[in-house]
Amino acid sequence: MATTESEQMAYIAAQAADARVNVEVETNEGMTLNLGPQHPATHGTLRIVAKLDGEKVVAAEPIMGYMHRGYEKLTEVRTYPQVTTLINRIDWLGSFANEVPFILAAEQLMEVEAPPRAQWIRTVLFELSRIANISLFLGDMAVQVGATTPVFYAFRDREFVLNQIERVTGGRFHPNFDRIGGIKDDLPKGWIEETGSVIGKMRDFCDEMEELVLGNEIFQARTRGIGVIPPNVALAYGLSGANLRGSGVDWDIRRDANVGLVYDEVDWKVWTHPDGDSFSRFWVRLQETREACNIIEQLLDGIPAGPIMAKVPLIIKVPAGEAYVATENPLGEMGFYVVSQGDLTPFRVKIRSASFSNISIAPWLLKGVFVPDIISILASLYFILGDIDR
Amino acid sequence: MGLVESGKIPKPLTKLLNMSRRYSMWVYQWGLACCAIEMGAAFASPRYDVMRLGVIPLPASPRQADFLVVSGTVTDKMAPVVRRLWEQMPDPKYVISMGSCANCGGPYWDSYSVTKGVDQIIPVDVYVPGCPPRPEALLEGIVLLQERIMNEDMAERWKGDPIVVE
Amino acid sequence: MAEIPDHLLKRAQAAREKAEAQQQAEPEDSASPEKNDEAEATEEEIVVTDEHAEAALTVLERELDGKLLNSHIAPMRGLWIRVAIEDWRFAAKVAKEDLDCKFFDWLSAIDWMPSPYGREHETEQDKLNEEPEDNDQKEMEWGYTGGETRFQLICRVYSISRKIGVMIKADLPDNDPRALSLIPIYPGANWHEREAREMFGLTFDEHPDLRNIYLPGDFEGHPLRKDYPLLSRRMKPWPGIVDMELLPGDDQ
Repeated sequence: MATTESEQMAYIAAQAADARVNVEVETNEGMTLNLGPQHPATHGTLRIVAKLDGEKVVAAEPIMGYMHRGYEKLTEVRTYPQVTTLINRIDWLGSFANEVPFILAAEQLMEVEAPPRAQWIRTVLFELSRIANISLFLGDMAVQVGATTPVFYAFRDREFVLNQIERVTGGRFHPNFDRIGGIKDDLPKGWIEETGSVIGKMRDFCDEMEELVLGNEIFQARTRGIGVIPPNVALAYGLSGANLRGSGVDWDIRRDANVGLVYDEVDWKVWTHPDGDSFSRFWVRLQETREACNIIEQLLDGIPAGPIMAKVPLIIKVPAGEAYVATENPLGEMGFYVVSQGDLTPFRVKIRSASFSNISIAPWLLKGVFVPDIISILASLYFILGDIDR
Repeated sequence: MGLVESGKIPKPLTKLLNMSRRYSMWVYQWGLACCAIEMGAAFASPRYDVMRLGVIPLPASPRQADFLVVSGTVTDKMAPVVRRLWEQMPDPKYVISMGSCANCGGPYWDSYSVTKGVDQIIPVDVYVPGCPPRPEALLEGIVLLQERIMNEDMAERWKGDPIVVE
Repeated sequence: MAEIPDHLLKRAQAAREKAEAQQQAEPEDSASPEKNDEAEATEEEIVVTDEHAEAALTVLERELDGKLLNSHIAPMRGLWIRVAIEDWRFAAKVAKEDLDCKFFDWLSAIDWMPSPYGREHETEQDKLNEEPEDNDQKEMEWGYTGGETRFQLICRVYSISRKIGVMIKADLPDNDPRALSLIPIYPGANWHEREAREMFGLTFDEHPDLRNIYLPGDFEGHPLRKDYPLLSRRMKPWPGIVDMELLPGDDQ
């Protein structure tokens, strides 16, 4: 055992770093606060080591990899239809949305296009998974700033959306429903009417959240002016989705670089907020949930009749080539860069996941904030660990 | 009480103690991946309401918990942490492994970074299959664990050396 | 390996023949990188997108001034360019300043070496019609814009004002794969470069903090290299594409 006091402190600090639990250690350079890897505020297994000076964060370093499952290697030994099973589990709150960019990339390489009905149903399910994903964020963000009730509302109303997804796909969480050239099954009878009523419920949920959370004085005090990201910094770090639009950049892949989904057919709006703080990110997501309700309602009215699968060979061999397809997933831009060499399996798949880039701004953003703001800023950036670590 | 340690605990008393243990369990939720959300739905949502089974979620630390739900993929980087937290729990302690990943590696059976089954590092009492299991399946797992506790001979469990898994 | 019932083999065989017949009936020609025109796409679309991409390519050709080794335009899908590794940072700088590509999308690498373990995903029944492949004889095939060496760096940047994504590629030398870090131009490259280093064993000069980002510190090997084996898969082969088992009562 070390003898001098500073040696003892260094020893304890090393032990604490090894322990990977939530501890505070005071050394000569100031205090080190370790959050995670198992901490309610980190949505899973993100670990944050922050060096503090009093209440102020001097430097914060996210440490991840506790959920690294090696998707990119595993896709190289699986056939194309098998890959969708795997990539479902990247962003586990909006699973269906993960499949779409990969399938679209494979379709691009095979020069197949899904029939209109399949495209419409894909878009409906895509937006439903967006609601399922973001509704949990709306509740969870309130938990992070100290209000417990909204998350119960979120879990309650999210079930309705999950039920609708389950009725079509058979999977509550991981549908694995998208196929190269179309979708697996048609909509069940009566589904369209039921979804219409669920959309009504989700609208009420958004109103509830607005009353419960958005107008709350404490919530505003905790988020207004906290964690401000200027637009050019957001772009340079590759932030996407609501984080980018919360910084005032008017950019939405659904509108500006749409591939394979039918957003051109409906009338909708991209919401932005000029402030770039935690509040604006929450506000943009709330509006997006409402907008998703609008999109779904319009789509449900006009689903065309017709087949749901294009003609594709039974054993799928994708011709050689490269394709990059990105879609506007609930968390931001999710893209699949697929390199094929004419084989049954992809040669290389690079998964561009939204949260990885979104959270890479954390060391820059957390510098100089106060300790409680770490939690609210991380919550407002909204990441999912599977999407960071892959 | 000394009775348990000496191994001379009367049967009716065992039953009484088991029954009271069975319906007052603190659960430490170790949410790792997709299953964590289904576990959250089971523990925090009004629809599934785990408290009607006498299970209280969200203790402040593993030192207060009676059983642990490992839900999700355990990676090689995470494994020492899972082991360490399990060691911090007071005996008698139980483990529910939720989902295919925690059971055996699941879809990541050939991955280079995933531990193929949490039972390689800690002993597991109940396995809940599924990817992810529905919240109802987790509740079923909890009921099974409660039955196990009900039929347990505490004197047998506490006799001799503490359980150590290498 | 267990014996496969004849009727399953026949079914797989029929499916394969059907698939091949279908593929022959619809020959696709877009696989070769030289051909940019697509028969299926409508005339209007080609005109619109080519304008974007070609305007961007003209700017890049002018600014890079002979340093552009190769380029490829996929209509509606973006622009691929390849530069020498010495011009890696310069190309990113040109893309940011002259093409207004402010959005840093991602950075990664590719190992173009064919996997020495062959096609581990197939079982024997899937290989029935094919000659056993000799993997040592297999040559490297590069994608769009070609290549010369085993490792290739890829970076995608996007211009929101021009609505064009540029994929920048650069070959890394085989003996010492290293490149200049892009952090001074795009700070977001930091984590992407750490990931590329860990997965492929590349080095990025002037990077402040090249630690492992995902794997534990004592992890050996670089998983995304093609010669990194998946040990579980070596021990237990995948059941295969036609993984049909006999049902009870299905005696034939």
